[in-house]
Amino acid sequence: MINNKVKIKTTNLNVYYGDKQALNDVNLEIHSKEVTALIGPSGCGKSTYIRCINRMNDVIDICRVTGSIEIDGNEINKKEIDVVSLREKIGMVFQKPNPFPKSIYDNVSYGPNIHGLAENKVKMDEIVETSLKKAALWNEVKDRLNEPGTSLSGGQQQRLCIARAISVNPEVILMDEPCSALDPIATAKIEELMDELKKTYTIVIVTHSMSQAVRVSQRTGFFHLGKLIEVDTTEKIFKNPNNKMTQDYITGRFG
Amino acid sequence: MSDEAHIVKSYEEELQNLNDSLIKMGSLTESQLADSMEAIIKVDKESADKIIANDAKINELRAKIDNQIMTVLVKRAPMAIDLRITISTLKISHDLERIGDLAKSVAKKIKPLPHDLPKELIGSLRRLGDLVQKQLRNVLDAYLNKSKESAIAIWKNDEQVDDLTNTAMNEVADFLGKSKKNLELATHLLFVTKNIERAGDHVTNIAESLYYLIEGEYLEGARPKGKDIEKN
Repeated sequence: MINNKVKIKTTNLNVYYGDKQALNDVNLEIHSKEVTALIGPSGCGKSTYIRCINRMNDVIDICRVTGSIEIDGNEINKKEIDVVSLREKIGMVFQKPNPFPKSIYDNVSYGPNIHGLAENKVKMDEIVETSLKKAALWNEVKDRLNEPGTSLSGGQQQRLCIARAISVNPEVILMDEPCSALDPIATAKIEELMDELKKTYTIVIVTHSMSQAVRVSQRTGFFHLGKLIEVDTTEKIFKNPNNKMTQDYITGRFG
Repeated sequence: MSDEAHIVKSYEEELQNLNDSLIKMGSLTESQLADSMEAIIKVDKESADKIIANDAKINELRAKIDNQIMTVLVKRAPMAIDLRITISTLKISHDLERIGDLAKSVAKKIKPLPHDLPKELIGSLRRLGDLVQKQLRNVLDAYLNKSKESAIAIWKNDEQVDDLTNTAMNEVADFLGKSKKNLELATHLLFVTKNIERAGDHVTNIAESLYYLIEGEYLEGARPKGKDIEKN
């Protein structure tokens, strides 16, 4: 199903790391409550792109971002934006699961805690349980909430990171190769989870696997050398892309 | 189309082998159809046996292509042009197999024919057979050259096949009307004519698959139909 409501709109987005230009005039619309997959060879700018959406590039001194990024029509690429509350709205999951060196419970309660989302312990218990259930992890961890997050398997850790991301009720979840360190079963569980999560959240996933993009996404964007070469419905991209470069990349012909 | 080669050489080879199998199957089907037409017109019962036996070779190639395609799908998860090549080859091979079956059906009708074909029936039957053979040859050439224009032309030309089928059928019906003694021969010839027309329909299917392979879109609109067939 294709949704036409735009959640994130980037216009003429340019990113520079010092002298090096990492993104070149990217114009891309991310649709609400859909999974958008970003594909392209290493160094093409797809991770740089999603890091702009939650202003993660701010932490890199030499990084400069120009152009417009609107979320629900509000510009976020400006100094006055409070990045802490922005990141409450925009969760992120990384390639390597990175739970805090804390208990499973504390990993999930951390965000709601710092954002003051729970007035008491009962409310916090509820948030932790709901988040772990949404991340399809509750049944596996409900009896060991005080054990360290790092004691879980890789796939469980990744779902814990997803639970941590959704515990603060975000609107957007950014995923940077969330399955590349996982086995096929753990990957299947994350992909199944994404199907469920997209009913509530807007998801942007960076992936190196075109097959994964086909399985999880409704739209796909292809990046090359910092440029967005083509974006279309995923079906159009995998059956009959407009651009020869897109076709050569997804068919494994890239020179 | 892409002129670049795959980074993985064995993938390139697998698609090449698939292409080779389909071309082999195409030329085998072409000669089976030609032989069956020649044999029915001459009522050559000896050739009929050979044609019937040869059909197994086409079926074997179809099974081989099925297996090659399953391997490509699982190993490569083909995308874009490769996906379209793989799926279109699967479909085309099944249409070729059906054309082979129809050539075999024509050959099977030769043995029970009571006597030679009356001269007045040979002309239309030959013209129909020649046209369908030409359509098959053209579609196989179009596949080799990946010619979108030829695919469209072949697809449109099915109208002529339908018209000629209709003429041939009417002539057989007239022949049947002349005498009850003609019943057996006429019945066989009606089936033969219908078989050749069906072979022509499979050629049209191949043209459609080829167009999809090249363009990634379906040929639009209903397939053209002969005027007289429409009326009936």
